[in-house]
Amino acid sequence: MTAMMTVFMTINGTETEPLEVPEDLMLLEFLHEYLNLTGTRYGCGQGVCRACAVIHDGPMGARVVPACVTGVAWAHGRAFRTVEGHADRDEEGNVTAVTPVQQAFLDHFSFQCSYCTPGFVAAAQALVERLEVDPVPAEDVENVVLEALNENICRCTGYVRYLEATRDVILATPGLTIGDGRAEGS
Amino acid sequence: MRTVLRVLAGLVLLGVIVAVVIFFGFTGAGPVPPASRDLEALDEETRAEMVSLGEYVAKAGDCAACHESEDGLALAGGTPMETLMGTVYGTNITPSEAHGIGDYSPDDLYRAMVYGIAPGGRRLYPAMPYTSYHAVSREDIDALYVYLMAQEPVEKPNRDADMAFPFNIRPLIAFWNLIYRPDPPEGPGPGLSAGEKLADTGRGAYLVDVLGHCGECHTPRNLAFAKTGEHLGGTVIEGAVAPDITPQGLAGRGWTETDLSQFLSTGLSPQGVMTFRMFPVLSHSTKYLPERDIEAVSAYLAQDMPEPSEPPSDPDAIDAHPEGHRLYVGLCAGCHGTNGSGQPSGSVPMVGNTTLMLDNPLNLQRVILEGIPARQLSGHLRMQEMPAFDATLAEAELEDLSGYLRARWGVDAIAMQDQ
Ligand code: FES
Ligand code: FES
Repeated sequence: MTAMMTVFMTINGTETEPLEVPEDLMLLEFLHEYLNLTGTRYGCGQGVCRACAVIHDGPMGARVVPACVTGVAWAHGRAFRTVEGHADRDEEGNVTAVTPVQQAFLDHFSFQCSYCTPGFVAAAQALVERLEVDPVPAEDVENVVLEALNENICRCTGYVRYLEATRDVILATPGLTIGDGRAEGS
Repeated sequence: MRTVLRVLAGLVLLGVIVAVVIFFGFTGAGPVPPASRDLEALDEETRAEMVSLGEYVAKAGDCAACHESEDGLALAGGTPMETLMGTVYGTNITPSEAHGIGDYSPDDLYRAMVYGIAPGGRRLYPAMPYTSYHAVSREDIDALYVYLMAQEPVEKPNRDADMAFPFNIRPLIAFWNLIYRPDPPEGPGPGLSAGEKLADTGRGAYLVDVLGHCGECHTPRNLAFAKTGEHLGGTVIEGAVAPDITPQGLAGRGWTETDLSQFLSTGLSPQGVMTFRMFPVLSHSTKYLPERDIEAVSAYLAQDMPEPSEPPSDPDAIDAHPEGHRLYVGLCAGCHGTNGSGQPSGSVPMVGNTTLMLDNPLNLQRVILEGIPARQLSGHLRMQEMPAFDATLAEAELEDLSGYLRARWGVDAIAMQDQ
């Protein structure tokens, strides 16, 4: 008999009902099976591919966690953002505007099959929000982007389009960098 | 009267000189047995044989553990070793004339390895494991010499040791040697050159205690940095526990001889995966040992071993440590399993895990906070990365989690079982 526990959390800004779930349920299954939020992808199931990455909004700001190996026992009472929660929506829930990160991925043709994309959206968005608080010199952006997206695996593309898209968003958004990348960059 | 005083003073001075000569004489290098053969006049075939035996001596002796360079050149020097007295850096032991051992004679290498005395009488810090190597056979050192001299010289200067006063006064090591350096045994035997001739436990002892110098980390040291009588009894070194690997210690944590062989040859066994300074021991040394030598090592370590304990498990820990259990299920169970069973090539089992059974929680807590990088073990065996949880866990949570793990499957579960 698996022990049960009652959990609730804030997903994309909305608090869930308290739900009775197995205590060792993983956040990914919770999103899929209990909330019908199926955008978050299941890849390796052991924390190495980041297809399942979601944003945890905690005291340290936005940080990505792999939902496949993060249990509801830890997620309980915390706030998360899934891929469904990034774009603006109208009353009926239709998307009215995507985020700059999402738009850049589209403009750069960053993905093909898109299986990895929700994870990349989470990682790139979390990076943008981290730089809002803690900007870096413009010439370091390429390295910072690589570091932030390095754990996400994509089997279709060469990663470069994801990295370039993220870099362009960061360089084009005032306040994320110190100095002018184009003037100082080589 | 004046003459008498002068004679007296002269005598005292003479006495002091004699004492100093005798003292440094005796604490310098001891007798050096004659070379096993004329190394200047080797035919091609013998030289090739000696190079390959010498390479094996270097691997079994794990020279690279300390003499590796920062950029991974096995013998070019630079690895820092931190002691309470300061930091010493492994030296360049490639045949560079300027920086390495290019001008060493075979006798010089023997003196350095067995007595800790470099050419010119310079005393090596006992971080160089000459108190273990003291019984390396002359044949093995000669083979090692031929091997080392056949390597590419690397022109990389040595880094000076960074020792606190008074440990930076090298001649004082003479006093240390006087007290702590064992005498080399009478005729240490033929060592690895003996091939099949050395009985298994003899070979195991030679590989563990002499060449492998396991005791340099696993044997507790006294305040003078000398190994104590608790041979292989376990201690804390360089910020991590080097566990008790006596037969009693190993059996108490459930190790069998087969587990030891598996661990030494692949870096992984039901008890866990190599971490901290033990991982490089796999990649530089033990994974190269042929099965026969691995078995000799395990047989020696498990000599007269009591019946190994069953892996402890105490389900009551769940109720006794609710916070720790919640953290385990929320952060660890996704990989290590709710029941602690682990996943092949992904995560080690918690059931039977040796780190949980150590008295000191240091290694457990460091692994949780720092994680373990993804690693190529031996052959095709890999282990995926364990992430670091330092940014996730508050100090009290770390205590809760490690307390739970030790009570569920570790040292405290053993204590409950024994009640
Ligand atoms: S599915 Fe979670 S990291 Fe791969
Ligand atoms: S676009 Fe197919 S896996 Fe990344």
